Amino acid sequence: MMDGTGDSPFRSPVTALDGPDKVTGAARYTFDVTLPGLLHAKVLRSPHPHARIVAIDTSKAEALAGVFAVVTGRDAAKLPDPYYGVAIRDQPVIAIDKARYVGDMVAAVAALDEETAYSALALINVHYERLPPVTTIDEALADGAPLLFDAPAAGEPIKLGDGVTSLKEPRPNVLCEFAYTSGDADDVLAKSDHVFEDRFRFSRINHFHLEPHVNVARITGEQIELWSCNQDPFVLRSDIARIFGRPANNVRIHASYVGGGFGGKSFCKMEPLVVLLAMKAGRPVRLCLSLDESLLTLTKHAGILILQTGVTKDGRLTARKSEIQLDGGAYSDASALTVVKTGYRITGPYRWDAVATRAYAVRTNTVPAGSFRGFGGTQASFASESQIDMIARRLRIDPYDFRCKNLLAVGQPFQPGDSGIDSDLTSGLDEVVERLGYRQRVQGSAQGHTARGMGLSIGIKDGGGTGNHAQALVKLLPSGRAIVGAATVEIGQGATTTLSRIAAETLQLPLEWVRYGAIDTDHTPLDNGTHASCGTVVTGIAVTRAAADARRQVLEFAAARLGCTADELALDNWTVRRGNYAHPLEPMITEHFGGAGFEFIGRGMVKVPNDPKAPLTAAALFWMPCWVGAEVEVDRETGKVRVVHLVVGADSGRSVNAVACRGQVEGAALQALGQSLFEELRYEGGEPANATPLQYRVPVAGDLPDRYESFILEHGGPGPFGAKGIGEAGMLGVASAIANAIHDAVGARLTEIPFTPERVLAAIEASS
Amino acid sequence: MTSQVDITVTVNRRTYRLSVSANRILADLLREDLLLTGCKIGCDQAVCGACTVLVDGLPVTACTTFAFGVDGTAVTTIEGLSEGGALHPIQRAFLEHGGFQCGFCTPGMILSVKALLKQHGDPDENTIRQWLGANICRCTGYQMIIEAVRAAARAMAG
Repeated sequence: MMDGTGDSPFRSPVTALDGPDKVTGAARYTFDVTLPGLLHAKVLRSPHPHARIVAIDTSKAEALAGVFAVVTGRDAAKLPDPYYGVAIRDQPVIAIDKARYVGDMVAAVAALDEETAYSALALINVHYERLPPVTTIDEALADGAPLLFDAPAAGEPIKLGDGVTSLKEPRPNVLCEFAYTSGDADDVLAKSDHVFEDRFRFSRINHFHLEPHVNVARITGEQIELWSCNQDPFVLRSDIARIFGRPANNVRIHASYVGGGFGGKSFCKMEPLVVLLAMKAGRPVRLCLSLDESLLTLTKHAGILILQTGVTKDGRLTARKSEIQLDGGAYSDASALTVVKTGYRITGPYRWDAVATRAYAVRTNTVPAGSFRGFGGTQASFASESQIDMIARRLRIDPYDFRCKNLLAVGQPFQPGDSGIDSDLTSGLDEVVERLGYRQRVQGSAQGHTARGMGLSIGIKDGGGTGNHAQALVKLLPSGRAIVGAATVEIGQGATTTLSRIAAETLQLPLEWVRYGAIDTDHTPLDNGTHASCGTVVTGIAVTRAAADARRQVLEFAAARLGCTADELALDNWTVRRGNYAHPLEPMITEHFGGAGFEFIGRGMVKVPNDPKAPLTAAALFWMPCWVGAEVEVDRETGKVRVVHLVVGADSGRSVNAVACRGQVEGAALQALGQSLFEELRYEGGEPANATPLQYRVPVAGDLPDRYESFILEHGGPGPFGAKGIGEAGMLGVASAIANAIHDAVGARLTEIPFTPERVLAAIEASS
Repeated sequence: MTSQVDITVTVNRRTYRLSVSANRILADLLREDLLLTGCKIGCDQAVCGACTVLVDGLPVTACTTFAFGVDGTAVTTIEGLSEGGALHPIQRAFLEHGGFQCGFCTPGMILSVKALLKQHGDPDENTIRQWLGANICRCTGYQMIIEAVRAAARAMAG
């Protein structure tokens, strides 16, 4: 690991390489892809939360002029493997026997235009036999509850290390279960001076990426070609190959700029349906969902988190037992992974004598839940950091002091067998305390019917994925212009600029000479997808190595031309220096190769080592802390909470692109602020109550706290030039910091987000 | 069969005489007929503001505006903002202050800001926050956009 202090080659601010396209409207997204003969698809969705599909009559739709294909579960059932999902594959390409939530895809039409496709949907007659739904975790777990699935799903539980339990479908309506223990938590709790049990509820939110889910599929002979907004081109390639029984080298995925994702565009979803439509229609097909439909495609996991935490009378944490129920919705999606990560992260950044965690995903007849920026870390941080604050107040210890007394120090492993913490957690908290004016606060300071208070929080998650890997290449043209080939998609996080800057620095080239290449699985080296804040570190290491490999080739070529050894030479601005002599490379290359010249192609890869002793089978590559301080004003009469001042900090290791780092932290924190105060996909029974863009409220500029500050610390990391990932950090600590500030202001504890006026009033009522 | 309407509209300083169907939406006209794909459609129901364009200098959501409704007007899309290949000061400010991430809201956001700065040459923080309420950005947390707006206001005043 490199130290984050000292000189950085990346201090000067950089203009984003994708910026000129994005501010002029020239940027092309999958949304903008068009092909000759393109058809447009629309999807018929179930109006029922749970229903058997008895029959579907598509004859009138098929007879409508302009309709080229109608696809239903009958078509999907004929596919070699019509199910998808991460580890556990239970979601059909389109509903085969049952519809399992309001919005489940039941039929799809490809037609000359969207208007005709909509008209055709209206002509499809589905005969449903309604079944009793289970729409909450409690309903799904009740004795004799209706079952979403009659038979086990395909797939395997997530493979984990020794001492960790990972089960697939262990009980009715339970998708998967994770259990982790370290030490004897029952024994330690029995010997603790205090044991506190608290229960937290987390809400369901949507990603609300502005570019809808959009895919264009084209079939040419044996080749399946897909232009997709998906964050994971290579994961998608594998899924499409498996589902359609094609060799993966006959599946080609193109990625363009992605118009926001936040996890909503990760892993396989409606992409195979678009391929199936294109196959049946014999023409290329575009399916662009509406935002209403995206709201019915994926959510973040709602959940119930019950924590039992032991502490000595002088305020030392001893043990924590947790039971975490996540609402996985109707289908697996990424729940199996999210359960593992939520359960593992529930202990927060503290030292424990013993830990026992059980986490599981429950199937309900609601929108499937899956990846969302923070990936379980947000749920875990909300519960954990709320409870830490509650315990501090119960023991009459300042929450700042209580945290500092128990925080993991640099180098101490998160859990036995895992990597050591790589950020100075106290220093980040001190920065928050300083900026917030925490030491000068007057607790519960009241003016009339309003009261102010301050709250702190430290969220944390492992970053970079588990045992992740990536490959990259760097092509150097005769002119010294370079193309970086890597499959981290540009989703707004700044991968284009960051990875190009890493290559430029390694090759000592001007940044504007480097271009981030188009992503095409036929030509771009593989990676595991744009996930887990891994782009800068994991893909970044692969790019660094590819650039270094290209540099080595250039120097060896020049050494041969100059009759010396490569170690006598240095590369600078596409000139080879040997002592005091400078030799421009372009004429050397042109003269030697002639013709179109030559490309030096450097290759790099990285595999984070597997480690059987690590609980999750590989030690965390780095740790992503999120330090938050919030000052709120609570209106005791209306229950309205106003965030007066929000301070959010994160650790970039060492920033490659400081502007992008700041943008990531502030953007994530505002998403978390929305979820804390008002944002939620609500259900009334089996019906989504607000699944339209107008009713589903996300933060606008007017929702900003009066003062909104972010800061980035640089404590070093395992990535290029000491970098580490930062993309999810800002999500983690915000909800708990606000809950803690509300408690500070009015002495009432909110244990369920969002902190709506009704809930705040009820909590004030209950506390007085 | 929907009826056709003949319209004359100036888009980005070029005048078009077009025959549009009565149910043609402005966003589709711009994107599909005039290939001005900088006009993005997010929510398709006038909530998110991604499709914002200027009609006679005022922001409208192109996803809920009929094409016949712009007959006789001047429409400005993001493609028409720069002149002679030089970025407009607002575009430059967004570029320099990190006022975008995924970029999908950016064309609409920039055009809203153009209308804002025409009405309020030196807007205060609250005016900017309220005005930007018509444009959702899910990526940035708005703060860097607001800084870009202030920088653009300074550049355009100077």
